[in-house]
Formats: sequence, C-alpha cells, structure tokens
Amino acid sequence: MASIDVIALERRIRRRYEAARLGRAVLGMLPAAALVWLAVVIAARPSSTLLFGIAMLLGGVALLWYGREPRRALLPGLGAGIVPLGLALAANAWGHVCTGSGCTTLCLPACVAGGTIAGLLVASVGHRRGAGWGFWGAASAIALLTGAMGCACIGLAGVGGLVLGFGAGLLPDLVRTFRDRAGSA
Amino acid sequence: MQSWDSLSPLPPWAARLVVLAPHPRWVLGGPSTRVASDPTNCTLDELMARLAEGDRAAFTPLFRRIWPPVLRLCEGLLRSDADAADAAQEAMAKVLIRAADYDPGRPALPWALAIASWECRTVLRRRVRRRESLDSTASILARDVSGEDEAIQRQLTAAALEVLGSLSEVDRETLLATFWEEAPSVGGATLRKRRERALGRLRSAFRRLYGLD
Repeated sequence: MASIDVIALERRIRRRYEAARLGRAVLGMLPAAALVWLAVVIAARPSSTLLFGIAMLLGGVALLWYGREPRRALLPGLGAGIVPLGLALAANAWGHVCTGSGCTTLCLPACVAGGTIAGLLVASVGHRRGAGWGFWGAASAIALLTGAMGCACIGLAGVGGLVLGFGAGLLPDLVRTFRDRAGSA
Repeated sequence: MQSWDSLSPLPPWAARLVVLAPHPRWVLGGPSTRVASDPTNCTLDELMARLAEGDRAAFTPLFRRIWPPVLRLCEGLLRSDADAADAAQEAMAKVLIRAADYDPGRPALPWALAIASWECRTVLRRRVRRRESLDSTASILARDVSGEDEAIQRQLTAAALEVLGSLSEVDRETLLATFWEEAPSVGGATLRKRRERALGRLRSAFRRLYGLD
C-alpha cells in the first residue's frame, strides 16, 4: 500500500477548496459587474460611480466566498440598493427643478427617498428571516454601496442623504428585531 | 421553512439577475442549515451541508470521515495501490471542492462515492489509452525497417500467419476484417467482444509458439 500523507493531502485540498470558492464568488458577481458597467455609462460622475461599484463588487465577492449568513444577505442588499441607484440615475437624467425662489437638483431627494425604501426592504427581509448581525451588516453595506453608485451625482451630500434615508428606513425594524430577541432570550 | 420567493424584496426580473451565475442556489443562499454547533457531533450529511454553506469548521471532520470509504472503494475498483491512491486523492479534492453543489436533501456518502467511482473510471480509461498508445508506437517502429530488419520483418510476418492459421475460422475472420477495416458481419458490442477474444487468443498462441508477444 502506497503511504499517503493524509495531513498534507487535507491541507492541499483545503487550499483548492478556498480557491474554488473564490472563483465561484467572482463568477457569481458577474451580473453585478454588468450593473456597475451600466451605472458608469449612465452616471454623471463616472469615476465616483466606478469607485463605489468596485467596492460593492469586492464586498460581494468577499460575502460569496465567506458563505453562511452574510452570503444570504447579498441578493437582498443588491436588490434594495438598486432602488436608490435607479432613482438617483433617473433624477440625474431629469436634471433640476426651478421654482420662483430658485433651482434645485433632484438628486438629493431621490437619494433620501431611495435610501429609505432600501432600508425598509432590507429591514423587512431581515425581520422576517430573524436574521443575525451578519445579515443586517452585510445587506446594509451592499445596499449602501450599490445606492452610492448613483448618489455620488452631487458628491458626498448625495451619499449622506442616502445613508440618512437608509438609516431611517432600517432602524425601527432593526431595533424591534433585536429587542424581540432580547425579550425572548 | 419559508422559500426565497416569499422573502425576496425583488421583482422577478431583478431576481433573474443571478441567472448567469454558475450556481444560483449557491448565490441565492438556499435553505439555511442550523445544526449542532460542534461539528464532531454532526452526521455526515450535516457536515456536508455545513461545508456547502461555507462553514470551514466542518472541513476536517468531513475529510476524516469520507477519506477511508473513498480510498477503500478506489482500491476495490482499481486493484492497484498507486492508481487507487491517486484516484482517491483526486476524488477527495473533487468532493470537497464541489461541496457547494451538494443537495442537502440527499445523503452525502453515496454522492461522494459516485464522484470517487467516476474518478476510478477516468483512471481506468487513461490506463487503456496508455496501453493503446504503446501498441501504436510499436507498430510505427515496425514500419521503419530496412535491410536486415526486412528479413526479421518477413520472419515475423510468417510467424504471425502461422499463428493466425492455428486460430479458429471465426477468430481469423474477425482479425482480418479488423486489419483490412472491412465491414463486419456483426456490429457494436458483439464485434468488440469477439475482437477482444480473438486478439487474446492470437497473443497467447504467439507466446506459446515463440515465447514473446
């Protein structure tokens, strides 16, 4: 019988396992890469959009590679983030609204409204699943990065509006979920 | 357990974004597997499900439980220690790397053994191909003859014809049809078996008469 170093074999296979997970994670994020490309083409400030897009893609790859609860947060986060992204890109295409007192861009209100809807969507899924911190954190990060691709249209103010809106949408359900959990424990 | 559809905040067209991904179940998350926290107390199926989810703590116990049956199966199928060890190692790598494809509704061990037996089949095929390639190299070398070699070649041909004459009519017909690439009277598996048997008898007759292959 040929002697086999089982420990070395296990180590070798473990390395291949991690590499295969990483490869799958990269492939799994290809549709999201198409979304980033589309946003960069449409966006008014492509460099900021690209920056946030790359951060979102890297985050997504990391979540898919890591697995477990954070992996399940990717799609809800991405889906929720598409709302502020779409609204901000549409607002940017629309331009601005002028009233008697002056003109104002629609980007900021679109980001606040989109962020609130995104927060509510993530909260609704997280609450229904009874998800843990891993889910809430990962889904929020992906949603914010996706939304920020569009909300960078007026610089940090847009991203700030997105974060505020998202927090407003998310916090009530987040607090309720963890209060319920603390109560039942 | 609630399905993904009932939880998804996405409209169907957005959910289709993941269609291009190679393993939708893997990307979408699939059912969550909440099992005993200590992997050593888990069943094989639970360990595989945990590894599919990305729980690295399940890797070592799973490896240690699957390795012995996989190695035994390869040894049984290949009857060669070196080949069995190679096949078992490759099979283990495939089983664990493809853990993400594992369907938690099915038992893990038969799935792993199916991958191992497929690996053994690949090794067997490789073995056959190697033997065939050696045979064709020998025939190429035989073609490259001159002078003294020609005399040897003639002797060998005469010997081959003599041996051929000692075979039955059916064997002779099969071998000649194969050599001249004639349309055989039988086809498929029957022809293959008949040809194998005829070649075996030709080899043993040659060995008996001349002491070499």
